[in-house]
Amino acid sequence: MKKNLIIPFLMLIVFFGATLMTAFTPFQGAKPWTVPDAAKSKKSSVASNAASIAAGKELWTTHCKSCHGAKGLGDGSKAAQLKTEPGDFSKSDVQGMSDGEIFYKISEGRDDMPSFKKKLPDEEDRWNLVVFMRTLKK
Amino acid sequence: MKHKIYQPGYRLIQLCLAGLLALSITTATAQDSSAAVDQVVAPKKVKPAKNTFQSIWIIDNQTVMVPIKGTLELDFQHRMGNVNNGSEDLWGLYGASANIRLGVNYAPVNRLNLGIGITKNKMLLDLNAKYAIITQTPGKYPVSATYYGNAAVDTRKEASLYDGAEMKHNSDRYSFYNELIIARKFNDHLSLQAAASWSHQNAVTGFYTSYDTSSKSYGDVYQSMEHEHFAVSLSGRYKFSNICSIIFSYSQPITSHSEYNPNPCLSLGLEVNTSSHTFQVFVTNFDKLNAQQNNLYNHNNPFKEYTTVNGDVVKGYQYLIGFNITRLWNY
Repeated sequence: MKKNLIIPFLMLIVFFGATLMTAFTPFQGAKPWTVPDAAKSKKSSVASNAASIAAGKELWTTHCKSCHGAKGLGDGSKAAQLKTEPGDFSKSDVQGMSDGEIFYKISEGRDDMPSFKKKLPDEEDRWNLVVFMRTLKK
Repeated sequence: MKHKIYQPGYRLIQLCLAGLLALSITTATAQDSSAAVDQVVAPKKVKPAKNTFQSIWIIDNQTVMVPIKGTLELDFQHRMGNVNNGSEDLWGLYGASANIRLGVNYAPVNRLNLGIGITKNKMLLDLNAKYAIITQTPGKYPVSATYYGNAAVDTRKEASLYDGAEMKHNSDRYSFYNELIIARKFNDHLSLQAAASWSHQNAVTGFYTSYDTSSKSYGDVYQSMEHEHFAVSLSGRYKFSNICSIIFSYSQPITSHSEYNPNPCLSLGLEVNTSSHTFQVFVTNFDKLNAQQNNLYNHNNPFKEYTTVNGDVVKGYQYLIGFNITRLWNY
């Protein structure tokens, strides 16, 4: 093999290897996510109203929908590629969490779930997301 | 240094300046993008408007947006060939004159963004900086104002000037750009911005108009172009869904040169915004992927055919398809 073909060939192996590993990685079940008590009891600075729900929905569409789905059912277009199951936010195991608990998880992230405290540095934006997520309850 | 006004576009300049004035004096409807403003638990602190634009780019121009501290951005920009060849090169999609720019930017502190990029055309290497001077804030600032500047160098081994003349000095390779951008977010749907720019090219071609053999002295210098070039632009975004917007931009040269007068640019496109990407697809006239190169040397005419004072016929409606993709990471 010519010397100048070695690097492109290695890149192809790495690319396809990474793709295959991702394709055959099964979903991990929901593992415990411990939230500090102080975070759980943190109160929202945003009231639930049409404006905050609309603002939260806009952020949801931009940042969350691709994994969690339009209605939070965990059926977004990227959901199948995730190692961690994105969950069903319409159900009581999510809706039963305190506002502070949801806010903490949005802010800190874990595994596939990215941290949004740098991407959305204004806490009000993340509280708007919490307000919108409450509308996903069935 | 004398500057002549580009007469054919004077009406459009007036419109752009009127837009700038309107942006500056309108204060009635300043609004935060969050829109959650009427009922809150705690008293609301007045905050600057967010997301006046979703990207640092609006087609070929910069927006007032400066990413938040710690944002790393990769830019992938592509301009196809001219659509006027029709199916021969698939309306420019397979055009030989396609142009590409790859760039990377980082915001080390709030309000400041620094970047570097390289463009296929002239293998142009650019260093750029952007600083948000003020940000639209209800009751405080009715508009946002941002400075953008860049320095670019033609890195080709055998570089030439705009008329094909050989570059004689390395300093001929440099060009510079300074721009003041003023924008206003009118509501969650509509944002408009006006900008005034100053481009500088280090080298222009010309000749002495006379030579006195007895005194061995040269007469006046004829320059085919001015070193300095001023232009204005008006750009806007209309957001029709949470992630999609219609975007437009119009750039108008102000300086009139003896020859090689650049054309205005008219652009219209669609923007799609996701958590980490912004995609813009559009039709435009600018094909140089660098602000001063576009403003100084745009030979694509967006309007109907015209004849220059030198008798050259400039064909009309010369558009091309292009896209910008940005990828963001927050550190």
